[in-house]
Amino acid sequence: MSAPPSPAPAQARSRRSLGARAWAVLAVPALVVILSLLLGAVVILGSELIVTGRKFDPWLWFTAYAALVQGAYGSTDAVIQTLVYSTPLVFGGLAVAFGFKAGLFNIGAQGQFLVGALGAVIVGVALADAPAPIAIVAATIAGIVAGGIWGFVPGFLKAVSGAHEVVSTIMLNYVAVQLLAALVSGPLKVPKSPSPVTYDVGNAAFPIVIGATGHIGIILAIVAAGFVWWLLFRTTWGFEIRSVGANPDAARYAGMRPKLLIVATMTFSGALAGLAGTSVLLGVSHSMTSSFGTTVGFDSIAVALLARSNPLGVLPAAVLFGSMRAGAGLMQINAGIPVELVDVLQATILLFLVASPVLRRLLRLRNVEAGITTAAPSPGLGAGTAP
Amino acid sequence: MRIRTRGFGMLAGIALIVSACSGSPTPVPPTVAPSVSAPSVAPSTPPASVAPSSTPAPSFAQKPGLKIGVVTDIGTLDDKGYNEFSFKGAQDGATAIGVTDPVPSIVPKDASEYAADIQQFVSQKFDVIVTVGFNLTTPTVDAAHKNPNIKFIGVDQSPECILPTGAPDPNFACKGVPATALPNYTSLYFAEDQAGYLAGIVAAYADKGAATPTGVIGAIGGTTLCAPCVRYIQGYTLGAQSVNPSITVKSAYVTHDFSNAAFNDPAGGKAFAQTFIQANKPDVLFQVAGKTGNGVLEAACAANIYGIGVDVDQWASLGAPANACIITSAEKHVESAVAQAIEGIAAGTLTAGDVLFNAKNDGISAADFHDKASLFGPEVTTALNTAMAAMQAGTLVTCPATGCGVAP
Repeated sequence: MSAPPSPAPAQARSRRSLGARAWAVLAVPALVVILSLLLGAVVILGSELIVTGRKFDPWLWFTAYAALVQGAYGSTDAVIQTLVYSTPLVFGGLAVAFGFKAGLFNIGAQGQFLVGALGAVIVGVALADAPAPIAIVAATIAGIVAGGIWGFVPGFLKAVSGAHEVVSTIMLNYVAVQLLAALVSGPLKVPKSPSPVTYDVGNAAFPIVIGATGHIGIILAIVAAGFVWWLLFRTTWGFEIRSVGANPDAARYAGMRPKLLIVATMTFSGALAGLAGTSVLLGVSHSMTSSFGTTVGFDSIAVALLARSNPLGVLPAAVLFGSMRAGAGLMQINAGIPVELVDVLQATILLFLVASPVLRRLLRLRNVEAGITTAAPSPGLGAGTAP
Repeated sequence: MRIRTRGFGMLAGIALIVSACSGSPTPVPPTVAPSVSAPSVAPSTPPASVAPSSTPAPSFAQKPGLKIGVVTDIGTLDDKGYNEFSFKGAQDGATAIGVTDPVPSIVPKDASEYAADIQQFVSQKFDVIVTVGFNLTTPTVDAAHKNPNIKFIGVDQSPECILPTGAPDPNFACKGVPATALPNYTSLYFAEDQAGYLAGIVAAYADKGAATPTGVIGAIGGTTLCAPCVRYIQGYTLGAQSVNPSITVKSAYVTHDFSNAAFNDPAGGKAFAQTFIQANKPDVLFQVAGKTGNGVLEAACAANIYGIGVDVDQWASLGAPANACIITSAEKHVESAVAQAIEGIAAGTLTAGDVLFNAKNDGISAADFHDKASLFGPEVTTALNTAMAAMQAGTLVTCPATGCGVAP
C-alpha cells in the first residue's frame, strides 16, 4: 500500500516527548470544557440577575456544579448511572466519528437511534418469553440491522445520485419520529392500555451486571470502541475509509471505490447508532412509549467532535456528556438550576470546538493534528487538507 | 497578537450571546411562587348553592418537614400545560401544609430517564413524589411498588393498572386492587366531559347570537387515541344539544396517533382547521389539541368565527392578539388537583388509586368570558350555573353511557 494520502500521524511527531504529545492531544478539548464551564457560571449569574424574586447568591454556580459532580459521581450508584447515560453516547459518538473519518457528516444518528430501538422492541417483544440468550442476541441484531438500513438509505442515495447525506439523513430523522409514533400508538400498542405503550421486552432485556442499573451494554460499548478503532486503524477497509475521507480523488486514483465505501460507511455508522437505541431500549426502558425520543443523536455529534473522531477518544467524551446528564437531576434538586444549563454547556462546548482553530492559535498549537477539523466541517467529499 | 486576542474576544462574545439566548428564558426558580394564578373560577359560574364542598375545607394538616419533589414529562417546566400546572400545584400544596423549602423539580431530557429521575428523589429521601403525564405511568408505579414508604401522585395516569403484587402490569389485565396492593400511589384524573359540557353550552349560545347563525358548531381534537380529548368533545356535544337540540356538532381529529401532529404542530393545526371551517361552516370552533390547537384557534379567528380554548383559560394564557376571538375555555384545574392531593397526604385523607376531579371538587370549570361578556345575556350564566349545580349534585349526564372517551 503505497497510497499517496497519508492521514496517519507524521513521523516527526513521534520524536516529541510523551508529555508534549499528550498536551497536543488534550489541550484543546480540556480548554474547551473549562471555557464552557466558566461560561455556564456566567450564564447562571446572569440569569440570577434577570429572574426577580429570588435572593441573589453569588455562589449559586458553585452549588450547581457541586451538585452536578455529586449527582454524577457522589455514590457507587451515581457512577453506574453515569455509565448508563454514557453508553448510548459511546455508540452514537462512534457512529458519527466513523462517518467523519470517511468525510461523511451523519446527522441521522438521531433517526437511526430511534429505528434501531424500534427494531429491538419489535423483536424483543416477540421473543419476550424465549430463552434469554436467544432473545437478547436476536433483539440486539434486529436493532443493529434496523439502524443499518436507516444508514444505508442515505449512503445509497449519495453514491447513486449524489444526494447530500446531511439533507437526506435529516429528512430520515423526521420519518423515523413519525414511524415510531405511528407504530407505538398503532400495531405495537398494548391493546388494553389507555396510553400508547408497547409490551415489555421481557427476557430480551439486557442483564444487569453492575449495581442496580448497570446493564451489559456498558461493556458492549467499550468493546465497540476498541473494535471501531481496530477497524479504522488496523484493517485495509479502515485505511480505505480514511483515505476516501482525506482525499477521494486520490483514493479513486489509487484503485479504491469511493461510492462503495460511502454506502458501507453509512450503513456501518447507522448500525452503530441503531445499537445506541438498542442499548437504551433493552438496557433501560424495556418498553417504548410514544415519548421515546432522545437527544442522543445530536449529542453524539458533539461527542465525536470532542473526541476529534478518535474511537478511543469517544469514550472519555461520552462519559463527560453522560456525567452531565446523570448529574443534572441532583443539580435541579439542590440548586434549582433548570436542566437547560446542561444544554447550554453542551452547546458552548460544541461552539468552542468548531472555533478551535482560534484556540489552537492562542495556545500556539499550530502543528497539532487538526483532527476532525480537517474532515468534518466540509461535509462534501474532498474535505480537508491533510495537515 | 492583537489580532488573536480580538478574535478570541469576538468568539467569546458570540458564544455569550448564543448561550444567553438559549439560557435566559429557561431559569424558572422553583422558589418563586408568584401569587400562583388561582384557578379562575369564572364569574359566569359562581360557586353554586350546592357547593359547600366544592373547595376542600381549609383544615390543612401542617407538615412543614415534608419533602415534595416533581418529575415532569419531557419538555420544559414553563410549558403552560401539565408540567407547569402540576408543578405550581405542588408548590401550592406545599405552601398550604406549611412547607417552606422550595419544591424541586426534574425535567427529563428523554424517556429513558424517567425511572432514574424518580430514583433521584427516592435517594434524597423525599416523602412525596409527583410525576406528570401518562408516559411516566410505568416508572411511577414501579417506584411506588419498590418504595412503600414514599407517597406517589401521578397526574393523568388513570386508569391505574397493577398486578396483585402492586407491580405495574405490562399486559394491562389490571387484577390488582389499588387500595390494598399499592396504597401509596394515587392517580389524578379529570371529568373533561363536564368541562366540555359547559363549553358546549357557551358555544350553542354563541351560535344563536351569531349574525347569521349556521346552526353548526365544531370541535377539533388532537388524536382519536387521547381519551380525555374525546371526552371533552363528547361533553361539548351534549352541552350544546342541551341548549339547542337541533344544533349540528361537527368534530374531527388531526391524527390517529401520538405523533407531533397531534399536540405540537400549530401550523398543521391551522391548516387542518382551515379545511374544516371551509367544509363545515361552523360558528364556533373548540380546540382540544394542545399547541396544535393554538393553530386551530388562529384559523378560527382568521375566519371570523368564535374559538374556545382548552385545559386553561387560553384567553389569558395566549394574550392579545391571539385571543381576539376566544369566548371561553374548557378548564381542568390540574393545579388545584395536585395541591388538594398533597393536602390530602398531609391530612391522611388521600385515597389510593384513581381519584376523579370534577365539578364537585373544583376539578373543572368554564373560563371567564373576559371581553366577550357583552355577547352573552343572563340566560347563559343561568344555564351554566344550572349545569354546574347539576354536575355537583351528580345528576347531569355529560358523557355517553357507552363509549365515553372512545372516538367514533
